[in-house]
This record gives sequence, structure tokens and C-alpha cells, in this order.
Amino acid sequence: MCVCLSVSKITQKASVLNLSPVVPGPSGLTPSTESTVYDLVVFGGKAVRLVRLHVDQQHLEARGPLVELQDWALDVRWLSGDGPPLLCVALAHNRALLLDANTRTPLFQRSCVEGCLLYSTLLLVHQSWADTVLVGGTVFNQLVLWKPGEEGGGSEHKAPVQRRLLGHSGVIFSVSYLQDEGCLASASDDRSVRVWGVGALGGPGGSCGDPDPVCLRVLYGHQARVFSVRLAPGQVFSAGEDGACLVWDGGRVIRTLKGHRAGGVRALAVRVRVWRVEANDDRMGKVEETAEKLTDLKFSGDGVPKVVCPADEDDSDWSQSGFVVCTDLGSVYRYRNGLWGLVWRGPSDFQSYCVMETVSVRVKSSWVQICAVGNLSGSVFVFPVSHPQSGILLNAGSGKIHSIIWQKDEGGGFLLASGAEGRVHRWCVQVTSGESCHLVLSALPLPGFLLPLCVKRWLTGAVRVRSGPQGALWVCGDRRGSLLLFQEKDESNTDDEEKERMEVTKGGLTLEPTSVLFGVHGKQGVTAVTACAGLFYSTGRDGCVRVFRVRQTKPDHRENKNSILEPETTEEEEEEEEEEGMMDNLDEGTFKQERLLAVPCGGGHRSWTLWPSLKGVWPGYGALVFIKQGALMASQPPGPTRTGTTGWTLRDGVHGRGVGCVRRLGRVGPPEGLWEVAVTGGEDTSVAVLAVRPDSGAVRVLAVLTDHISSVRTLMAVTRPGGGADGDGTPSLSAVLVSAGGRAQMQCYRLLIGWDRQRAAPSCQVIQVARHRLDEQWERKRDRHKMVKMDPETRQVQGLSNRNSSGWTRRPVCRCFSVSFFSCCRLFSICETKHRIDLLWESFHHQRCVLSVATSERPRRLCVSSRVLLLFSASTDGQVSVWDLPPPSSSQTPPLPCLSFPAHQSGVNALAVWTEEDEGGCLVTVASGGDDGQLTVSVMRVQFPHEASRGTSSTSEPLNRIQVRLRSQARVPLAHAAPLTALQTVRPGLLVSTSSDQRVCLWRVGGTGVVHRGACTGVKHTVCGPEPDHLRVWFWSVGGICEAQKLH
Amino acid sequence: MGRSSKDKRDIYYRLAKEEGWRARSAFKLLQLDHEFNLFTGVNRAVDLCAAPGSWSQVLSREEKVEKGEGGEEVKIVAVDLQAMAPLPGVTQIQGDITKVSTAQEIIRHFEGQPADLVVCDGAPDVTGLHDVDEYIQAQLLLAALNITTHVLKPGGTFVAKIFRGKDVTLLYSQLKIFFSGVTCAKPRSSRNSSIEAFVVCQNYQPPEGYVPNMSNPLLDHSYDVDFNQLEGPNRVIVPFLACGDLSAFDSDRTYPLQLDAGKQYQYTPPTQPPIHPPYQQACHLRKNNLLSREDAPTDCPNQSRDQDPSADNICLNDSHCLRS
Repeated sequence: MCVCLSVSKITQKASVLNLSPVVPGPSGLTPSTESTVYDLVVFGGKAVRLVRLHVDQQHLEARGPLVELQDWALDVRWLSGDGPPLLCVALAHNRALLLDANTRTPLFQRSCVEGCLLYSTLLLVHQSWADTVLVGGTVFNQLVLWKPGEEGGGSEHKAPVQRRLLGHSGVIFSVSYLQDEGCLASASDDRSVRVWGVGALGGPGGSCGDPDPVCLRVLYGHQARVFSVRLAPGQVFSAGEDGACLVWDGGRVIRTLKGHRAGGVRALAVRVRVWRVEANDDRMGKVEETAEKLTDLKFSGDGVPKVVCPADEDDSDWSQSGFVVCTDLGSVYRYRNGLWGLVWRGPSDFQSYCVMETVSVRVKSSWVQICAVGNLSGSVFVFPVSHPQSGILLNAGSGKIHSIIWQKDEGGGFLLASGAEGRVHRWCVQVTSGESCHLVLSALPLPGFLLPLCVKRWLTGAVRVRSGPQGALWVCGDRRGSLLLFQEKDESNTDDEEKERMEVTKGGLTLEPTSVLFGVHGKQGVTAVTACAGLFYSTGRDGCVRVFRVRQTKPDHRENKNSILEPETTEEEEEEEEEEGMMDNLDEGTFKQERLLAVPCGGGHRSWTLWPSLKGVWPGYGALVFIKQGALMASQPPGPTRTGTTGWTLRDGVHGRGVGCVRRLGRVGPPEGLWEVAVTGGEDTSVAVLAVRPDSGAVRVLAVLTDHISSVRTLMAVTRPGGGADGDGTPSLSAVLVSAGGRAQMQCYRLLIGWDRQRAAPSCQVIQVARHRLDEQWERKRDRHKMVKMDPETRQVQGLSNRNSSGWTRRPVCRCFSVSFFSCCRLFSICETKHRIDLLWESFHHQRCVLSVATSERPRRLCVSSRVLLLFSASTDGQVSVWDLPPPSSSQTPPLPCLSFPAHQSGVNALAVWTEEDEGGCLVTVASGGDDGQLTVSVMRVQFPHEASRGTSSTSEPLNRIQVRLRSQARVPLAHAAPLTALQTVRPGLLVSTSSDQRVCLWRVGGTGVVHRGACTGVKHTVCGPEPDHLRVWFWSVGGICEAQKLH
Repeated sequence: MGRSSKDKRDIYYRLAKEEGWRARSAFKLLQLDHEFNLFTGVNRAVDLCAAPGSWSQVLSREEKVEKGEGGEEVKIVAVDLQAMAPLPGVTQIQGDITKVSTAQEIIRHFEGQPADLVVCDGAPDVTGLHDVDEYIQAQLLLAALNITTHVLKPGGTFVAKIFRGKDVTLLYSQLKIFFSGVTCAKPRSSRNSSIEAFVVCQNYQPPEGYVPNMSNPLLDHSYDVDFNQLEGPNRVIVPFLACGDLSAFDSDRTYPLQLDAGKQYQYTPPTQPPIHPPYQQACHLRKNNLLSREDAPTDCPNQSRDQDPSADNICLNDSHCLRS
């Protein structure tokens, strides 16, 4: 017996392995005679293939070759009758085909009289070909029903249309049928879903249903095109380009499910009450269950709640332990056992504005909640929630208290109140149990912090760690997105003189940060800072979690011992919800980077609090309480009868959208199982470090970097020459990675890729080196909407590492050459120790978009100061320019190119360069691939007058330039049928080209010109995507044999 | 996004509005003509998939220039499935290019004479799935070629949009059966980042004994799956020609709003907003907050299937006022 898999649209590639997670639809998998083996048919494009699934071994085995069809397959179904396995195939020109699955030969085919193109098809099959009914959604916005197996006539005879459903005003992308209710649903470009009453379709005899079908419902709810629709009893599920999946009941949306990041949802499969699987553009499968409800806690006090904080005294139940809220009238209420009670009514100066924070303090054997409320005039009232009468009033300057932060300590805590003008006031608050169970609070003022100058100058997160004898360290994050390090002098260790001085200035003395990482979390600000196992973690509203280490400097001099903050790694945290830094949860999550909790809060709230799972209430879950539009809401905890909201992602896409660029770094791992390591950059603004097993095709994501604010267009990597090795000889990698993309942003990282023996997997450490944005000052300009930003995108980056004899590691300076869409070439230097990227020069010579850059190296013998010989840039007018590299400290005037020559009719998409030695100079060969499909190989001769005359001439002739002359040019006008998108040199004289015609060609360049050496076509190796630079060929080259691999 | 943001990003979009073209694609035909002299000696021209009508505009304007005042009257027929705002000097047929009746109507407008030039700038509504778009575009081109064989005179010219993708050589080979000169041309106003190009097919010479037939698409006979596997010299690749002056604007670049110092930039509204786009009804509902939502208390509007969307509710926010 056989089964049919309805394959989602994203697999419409002639490849079986591209199959994304597909869960059986309502039809289910019918077990074959051996219950654990299934025969599947997978289709896409113009091909169909049979695959055998061994459930026990979780193994897919291809059966027979790819069956190529003359037209696109839109739907394929198994006929359920006895006899040889038969496949019914619906083709795009409204034609159906009966295929013998064993012989893979067509038995019948039949067209419909309506011969127009279909966008979607649904085959309703039964036992025989004669029972088959085809529902097609035509390019002319109609649904047509016809019977391909109708009696009479040969295959030349065209079948008549049985039913025609009119109503849509756009093409139809998806059709679904529900037997039980006799309903047909269609999803269209006109953003509507229509449900039609058609009666019984298909089945024995192939019924075409009611003679006069009617449109039962028109469902408008999507904001963009509807790509997919599925029917379930009583419900309609639709998904579209707006990324939402809507659940309809009786013409109403009863649920909106969102979870896909970008590009819209393409396909949908529904299994009622169990699964809902979507696959979409971001190459991600997502399963969601029906949503959980939010509860309104019905705040009953006076005023409107503004701030909510936890106040759990016991580790029991959240509804008993409760929480406190502060209202706009300055009153603090407590929620406990489902009831509201007034705790403290603040004086009039606490009205209209307040900040509040709570902390749990252990006094003797019980927990005490201490609450601190700050107001507009610099007062902070600190009180135990249980005994507000023993509260104390503290003064923190005269201005507004922006934020309050508690840091737990033994017997109390440190209280930080961020006041006006960047002053952070600090106290050490101690709680003691007085007589008759009274709690006594005492606050010892500590030297305050002074924050660096910026507009939003207040703290948003702080953590304190003791670090040896010289005192404690504070790592703080501010609203400007900066991370600050303060060093607290331990009073017990300071000498008397200093102690005296501190006595005098106590309260007035402020500490300034010893180290600042300015704006690392962007303008949106830091949300939380925490420390764990020697590392610091910070979260920001930029959606990132950053990991830091505090490094000691000048260890030889005790008094001046300083610590600086050093970025260690950046890791991504998807901020699926509008929550800020769930730090307690995060410590577990950082390694696996999995989402622990998401609450559909709907946004619009200013204050929230979370009971994390650590309290042991519900393992793995927490409850979220938040204020939304003046009401207090609690996310219902998942109880035993869970109707939980949490959808989960089956397989996350490496990139949400298209992959823009690929770079190979090298290989790591033991010799018997090497992993190839590559970096990809995508339109979803992220950079992913991937490890790929070439033999099995297994892919592992080692790190995801999300520092870019626009799509990542290009990557450049310089690996340590010769590679490195661990102590035991396993190869490891160290590379400098530069990524660049939209908004003229560049990021530089140091990647350390090694082999984790315990986990038997590659590991990756990312150190952020530097960042650069040309248009940083642009954001501060007034009236910028009236102007054109001159530098929207960086197109390509080429590295020119200074790998001279003095050693690359000791001079960690590398330079890179970048071009952008605004006709500009730029040269940057990157200094790894200074964490800086500097612009060395720029040139607007091209006047048109510069599409590609390349560099050439000096032959080793002629290696003098720098190995870089020449730079090449090419633009949309087909011109290639050759630049002499200026010395790093050269004058500000940008040089003119030494040579400029036409190479193509239109844009030059790719350049590849190699150098050969020649008498008295060298020969540089530039291969270029253009939009015109041409491959041009230009050879130029380079002479070094500077070096030739070195002995005689003095250094007073610094302008003695390299001489470059074009010697010959060879062209292959029609190297590809479509734009050539990428070129790579396998070795000097051997080139690989790729094109959007999905072919990879190998070329030999010699004295006699350019010779075509072979090609592989898109069928076996689908190599190139339609966009230029969509991907690059990856190869493992051994003597000219190249193996290309497609990523995505 | 301000309303002038697209003006900044796309120089040809802005120029099209300033010069009164309905879409920026007008420049593509102008640049193609510049290279191939498409309009010389043309008395009868057909614009397939004409909406919104920018190529028809170019045809009618350029032909007038070409003929002068006293010349023979030039007849232009624009065919599209969608409605198109009227254009002076252009006869419109709202019809399907895969129907014989449409071909017959074209010939009737030409008083029984075949056309000298057929152009087609039709493109599918891009779905975002590249291979689907490429496939639909190829089918559209073949449909255009099919109707062209019904209406074009021997020796006539056919110009159509093509996506240079995986199956492009197959299309080239099919075009070469009917035309002795096939060139792939890319006007400079078409972006480098777009896979779009144009095939300029000159000198229509159908194979001997070929009878135009709508119901039997001519693509079948050579839809040989092995064809695309051919390597090297056996592959059919047509010459490539970049069209338009090198001094022309670079379509991939952004330009400042004020192009020359003397002339102050002024926002120009689109020449012709789209008529009856598929999303018209949905936009109308959204504008009036009638789209069904999860927390909306009322039922979603339940229109009868033959309701005619009123024409005065064009949603300009969403419309691609000028097609690219």
C-alpha cells in the first residue's frame, strides 16, 4: 500500500532532500504491508520522485530516478485501488496524468477544455482514474472542476469543465476540500478566502457535487495575499503573506496565530486538536497549539496601577505569595489570595509619578519583602511590605528618580536609585528583626555612581560581584545601551588616609566608571544585567544577549589595578514577545538558545513581572503579570488540563529569508569526521556560523550574530595562515570575520572555532572586535527625511590582511576594501587591539553603482612591505578599475585608478584575480563575470619602478607609482545563458563560474584563451539562486575536481 | 516612509511621473528602441498585457514623432485582461491572449492586415517564490508568442519580457524557431539586481507549413527534458545587448531629490493609479476597519459573490501605482 504526501510549496524544487518538515494531514499515513515502511511521492517543479520511508530506522530511501514531467506538477495523489500502484498527477496547464509508479511511465493523460494556467490544484482521488475529480484554481481567478478520467475519447479528447466557481478577483493560491461538510475553500491574491458549498466531490464514480455550487462565505481578514487554506470540521484555517494564520469559525476570526518572522506563511497543514504545522518562507516549521487565555486580575484599589513587582514571601503558590502594584496616586497595593489590599499610601509628592522595585531579604528564617518607591522629587521610601510602618525615607538628590535597582546581599541588599544628571545614589540596606517581631531597616549611604553624559542617563540594570581583595565590582547597564564597570573600594582594605578622606566626602563622593562599552545594546537601552560563572550577561531592547568578561589590567601594580570590560561573545535571543530580559531563565537557555516562555501579551504594557520557573511552582514555566491599559493581567499558568499557547518551532530556519552571502572558513574536527565551517549572511540581518558534514550533509548552527540593522550583503573572512591545532592535534580555526550590508554597516568579529571533545561537536567562540557605520551621524541630522542618504548599502568587502613576515597575529591589523551601491569604493583598516574600524580613503570615481571588488597579492619573491598589490573594482557600466594600494598613512586625497578598462556591456557581478611572476614585474589576470553572461579574462602587466630603481633613487620619490598595462583580453561572450553571478579561482588558471541559469562551469585560462572544461547543470547540483551573489560556490578541490554545494 | 521615499530610491520611477508615463517601464521600451529602431516603418502595433499602459503610451508617442503630421495613420491595439484607463490613439481590447477570438479582434482592428510589431511587457504578480515566478513568466511569454504567430506579419518584430533563469535556453530555442534574429537585451533602466531582460525577436519567419493554433501550445514539441542538459556549444544562447546610453541614470543607484541645482524638487503624483487591483476590496475593508479580527465583536462582512466593488474606493496606500 502506498501513501501520498502533500508537499508544501516551499519544496517546489526538484529535490527530495529539500523536503521540510511535513506532518501527515488528515488523510494520514497508511501503513504498507510491513507496517513500518511507507512509500511516499515527493514532487516539485517538473519532477516527481518516489521515496521509501523506514519509520523504525528514520531513514528515507530514494526509489528509482527522478521522474521528469513536461509541465509543472501541482498535486500528486496515489489511487487507492488494487493492482499496481498508480499515481495521479495534476499539471499546471490544467492537465492530469496517470503514472505507473513501478515503471514510472504515463498511462493516460487528459487535458481540460479550459487550457489555461493553474496556480493551485486539488486532486480528489478514489480507487480508479475514472473516479478522479480535479479542482483547479486558474490564472483567471476561477475554480474549475473537471474529470480527467471521463469515459470516451482518447488522450486527444479534451474533458469539459463540470463546474465553474466565479467570485475571486485575484489568482487562486490554494484549494482545500472537506468531505464531511461538502465544502470547498479557496485562498486568493485578492486577500480573501471563499468557502463554497459544493456537495460531495470525488468518491466512487467521481461525483462533481451539486450542479449549482454556491459561495457560502467570503472571509476577509488577512492584510496581504492569502497563500494557503485548510478546512477542518467547523473551522477554516488560512495563512498568508502577512505572516499570520487565522482560524475562522462561522465567518469570524476566532484566533490569530503569529510566530513566523518574515516573508509570510506559505503552507499549512492542520490536524484538528492535535497539530498545526506551517512551513513558510523563513524555512521554518512551526507547530502551535491553541492559545492560552489571559486573566484580568480586576484591580480594585484607587487610581490606575502603574508598576507591578513581585512580593512572594514563600515558595508556595504565586496566587498566595502575590505581588505589589503602585498606582498613579502613590499608593502601594498588594495582591494576595485573590484579594487586593492597601499596603502604603504615599504622601502627595508620591502622586502622579513613581518607580518601584522589590527585593526578598532573608531575616532569620523567613523571607521579608522590601519595597522601594521613588518619586519625582528625589525621595525614596523603603519599607517591608509586611510592616510598612517601619519604612524609612531616603534622599537621592532633588530631581526625578528614573529607576530603582536592588541587588541582594546577606541580610539586606544594595539599593541603587538613579536620579537626575546621571547620579546614582547607593545605600546598603540592612533588615534586622527588632523586638516584638518588628523589622528594623537601616540604610548606610555608599559613594554614588556618575554615569557618562548622554540624553537618557539612568541605570536600567546592575549586578555586583566581589572580586578579590580590592573590593567589589558593579557591572551596570544604562538606558542608552551602554555597559559600565564601577569599582568599589573596599573600606576595610583602604589605608587610614583614604578612609579619612572618604569620611569627609561620604555621600558626596561619586565613582566614575572604570570602563565603558558605549551603546553596545543600541539606543533602545539595556534591560538587565546579570552575572553567572565569571561571565556577565546583558540583555537589551535590541533583542540581543551579550556576554562579557571583566579582565584585569596592570596586575603588577596593586593600587592601580584596573578592570576593563571586554566583550566576550554575542549571542542571539529572540525576543518573541514584548518582554525584557528574562534573566533568571536565560542562564539555562543561553547554550541551547531555546525559548522557554512566550506570552501573547499584545504589547502596550509598561510594567510586568515574572515568576520564573526557578521557584519550583511549575517546572519549566512561569507566570507573567503585567499592566495593560490600566488593567492588571496575568497569563494563566498552564494547569493540568493545558490549553497552553505555546507553539513550538520544529526546525528554525538558519536565516529567516534568503541567504545573501557565504564564506568558507575551513575545517575542524577529528580526521575521521571533519566538519566544514562556513559563515552565511542573510536578508534577515543575521550572520550564522555553520558547521557542515560534507559526507552526511548534517548542518549545525554554531553561532548566530544579530548585530546588523539591515540585510547582510557580504562577508569577508581572514583565517589564520596555516590554521591552528588544539593540543591533541585536532584542527581548530581562528578567523577574523567582517560582515557588511545595508545602511553602510560593518561588523568585525574574531571567531575561534574548535572541537568540543565532550560533546563531539564543533564549538565556536565569537569575540566582537569592532563595528562601523558610515551614516551614524546621519541619524542625528534634522530634516533628514528631505534628503537622500548617500550610502544605503555595502555591496562587497574584500580582505587584504597584512600577512607579512612579522607575523599576522602580532600585528592584528587587517584592511578591507568595500564598495557600496552609491558608487563609492572605500578602504578601511581594522585594528583588533584597539577595537576600531577606520576609513582610510574613499573614491567616487565610478559614478555608478560599484558591484564587486577584488584584490591581488604580490608574488612572494617581491614581497616588500605589504603583500597587497592592487585593488580592483567594477561597476554597473561594465568598467573595471585598477587601484594602486596607497600606504596606510597616505594623504587624504583619494588616488585615481592606475587603469580603467571596459570588460562588459553591463554590470560586472564578479571578479577573480590571480598573479603570476614575470620578468621584472608580474602578470595579473582579472577574470570578470557580467550581467551579460560573459566571462572576460584580462591580463595586465605590472611593473614596479619603485623597486627597480630602489637602489639608485632616494626616498624623495614616494609618488613613483606602479605601472599597469593591459596586455590582452579574452572573452567568452555567452559563457552563461543568464547573468553570471559568482566567480572563484580554484587555482591560478582554473575558474569556476555560476549563474542564475543554475549551471556551474569550469574554465581553464591559458595562453590560448579560455577553454570550457565542463559544467554541471542545475538538476543535480542546484547551485545558484536567482539573485546575483545569492550564493557562492563551495568546493573541496582536489586537482581540478570540484564539488559544489548549494546552501538553501 | 514619506511619500517621496520611492522617488529617492528609484530615479526612473520619479522621471516616469515627471514625464507623464504611467510606469517606469516606459523607459525600457524607449531604450530598446534606441538600440533596435523598433518603431521604424511600423504602421500597426500590438501591446500585449498592456495595463497600466506605459508601453502603449510609448508606442503612440513615438509613432507620432516618427510619422509626423502627414504620415499614414498608425494603429495601436492594447490587449489586457484587466481594465486599463483609456489612452488617446490606442484601441483597447479587454481580452485573453490565449483565445483565438482575441487574435481575430486584433486583426479586425487592423482591417485584416497583420501587425508589424508586437510587444509584451507582461509579468506575473510576483509571488516571491523565484521558480514559480520564472515558470509563470515563461508561460506568459509563450502565450504571447502564440498569439503573435496569429497576428504578426512575416518579417515583423516581437519584443517580450523574459526572466533569465534556469529554463531560459529552452525559451530561446523556441523563439529561434520563429524568428531569424533573437537578441537578449537589457535596458539600463532595468535594474542589475533584477533577473528581468527583454528578448527582441526580429524577422518573423514561421517554419514552413506552420499553422497557428491556439489550442495546441507550441511549447510542447520541444519540451524535451534532456534539452536543458546540453553542454557547451550545443546550448542555444542568444546574443546579449545592453541597451541605452551609458550616460543614462543608473537604475540601481539612489539619486538626490534635487537633480540639478536650478530646479527645485516637487512631488509628482502617479500618472495613473491602478484600476480594479485584486486587493481593492480588501483594502477598502481595511480602510474602514471591516477586516475580520480576533477580538472584533461583529461578523466579518459577508458579501454576495456577485457584488461589484465600487470603483471609487481605490486604495492608493497600497497600490503599486506605477508598475516596475
